[in-house]
Amino acid sequence: MVMLLGSLQLGILYGMLALGIYITFRIMNVPDLTAEGSFTLGLALSAVLTIQGHPLLGLAAALPAGAAAGMVTGLLHTKLGIHPILSGILTMSGLYSVNLLAMGNSSNLSLINSTTIFKMASNLLPFLDKDIVKLLVALLFTAACTILLILFFKTHAGLCIRATGDNEAMVRASSIPVDQTKLSALALSNGIIALTGALIAQYQSFADINSGVGILVVGLASVIISEVLLNRRTLSGSLLAVLVGSIIYRFIIALATKYTFLPAYGLKLVSACIVALALALPALKKSLALRTARKEAQAYAAAETNL
Amino acid sequence: MLQLKQICKTFSPKTVNEHKALQQIDLTIHKGDFVTVVGSNGAGKSTLFNVICGNFFPDQGTILLDGKNITWMAEHKRASFIGRVFQDPMRGTAPNLTIEENLALAYSRSKRGPLHFALNKKDTAMFQESLAQYKMGLEDRMKTKVGLLSGGQRQVVTLLMCTLVPPKLLLLDEHTAALDPAASEKIMQITKEIVARHQLTTMMITHNLNAALQTGNRTIMMDSGKLILDISGKEREQLSLQDLLALYSSKSNKAFDNDRMLLT
Repeated sequence: MVMLLGSLQLGILYGMLALGIYITFRIMNVPDLTAEGSFTLGLALSAVLTIQGHPLLGLAAALPAGAAAGMVTGLLHTKLGIHPILSGILTMSGLYSVNLLAMGNSSNLSLINSTTIFKMASNLLPFLDKDIVKLLVALLFTAACTILLILFFKTHAGLCIRATGDNEAMVRASSIPVDQTKLSALALSNGIIALTGALIAQYQSFADINSGVGILVVGLASVIISEVLLNRRTLSGSLLAVLVGSIIYRFIIALATKYTFLPAYGLKLVSACIVALALALPALKKSLALRTARKEAQAYAAAETNL
Repeated sequence: MLQLKQICKTFSPKTVNEHKALQQIDLTIHKGDFVTVVGSNGAGKSTLFNVICGNFFPDQGTILLDGKNITWMAEHKRASFIGRVFQDPMRGTAPNLTIEENLALAYSRSKRGPLHFALNKKDTAMFQESLAQYKMGLEDRMKTKVGLLSGGQRQVVTLLMCTLVPPKLLLLDEHTAALDPAASEKIMQITKEIVARHQLTTMMITHNLNAALQTGNRTIMMDSGKLILDISGKEREQLSLQDLLALYSSKSNKAFDNDRMLLT
């Protein structure tokens, strides 16, 4: 039960991260490595401000900070013509120093003695179990974020972003500045990812400078699990599916560690394998189909000659 | 309307690959003109369109549209008054967006704020009505992703996207060349309807010399980056396909090198 609840909490919280990654990876068609830095940026800001007694400010600060990080990547890519993946890597590397600076040059911070938003909610709702409250807080943020995103992608600006990932030339030909749509998509994505980091810091009452390492793969795994397991036709459906994917991913991880299939440090390897396998699936299916077709054709030819 | 003055464009200048794509082009197009553009491959037709649209800038010269200098204006800004349809049906539409979303994107060209809902009933009804005119059954498939449509259907959607808000200038870059003959004819017919309805100033590149003479009111011919022929009115009406070929040979001192033009 504890494991179930814990996975659910984490799944819902990291669902926001997966939404942010969905925007760049699926809608814009570029895997954005800024995520690894912006996640930690949100985490660091939130931790520092919580220690100083401002947990809400910590969350509020993460969003624009993450968006700014996304803009840096966007500017490197659109205005300075650097390859989008390399732009993300550059920002991510730079952010490592910025994050250390934010955390006062210490690689980890503890929030055990500070009031986090989760503790605040617990105090407000003393009749509820602490874990249930944590779940509710996570749900509140993720639900709000999802609803806003679903609405946003129905607006003109949202449609422009979707179209840019789909056919850039056409967007330009429709008199829409492509650079701006790319920038706003990256800002949006990284803002959400930083907010996730901010919530995670307060959720686990702990911030580590390396929290963001491999976070992109975690998000990708959630996105891909959702695509393999759930059938979705509309974008709104896909966004909801991504949340479910994130929860399923957390259950898989919890099961794997609980039954000690592998040590805790093996998680990143498992995540990477899940993503690699899922991404390879179309190619594997194709080569399998080709093999079957060839075999059938050969069998047919053999039968013909025997006649 | 559209004025090109002394437009030059050279690719890879001062190298062995130097290619003078446009040489001193002077061209004036009047309001309501429907100009067909012919010329063999590499004559500079598409380069001319690219310069007009702002895909790249000319090395020299000025482009005036309605008296306004647009030579250095950014591509997406010009796009609000220049519509363009490409040969490749994939280029003009976003495949993962539905028909109505594609049309909405083109229609809402900064008409409203960015945070307004992209689709509304009034607009969708208008899109549906516009599509219904072309009798391709697209009006019943508004929620279909454009990627699932045939090339001809996609070109109709693209044409409509370019003309929902009538542009000052419509550029058609061999927009029927990738389609089968039946679809090609249908799209041509729809093009003529649209141009006539909005009285659009249009330039159309074609490799079909018959179409070039039968469509529109003026024909220009390009060769090696130069305008070598510009005919309209009576002179054009009396011109036959053979005359046109003869003119080409005499002007450029070589035979027309493209079988496709002769066979279609």
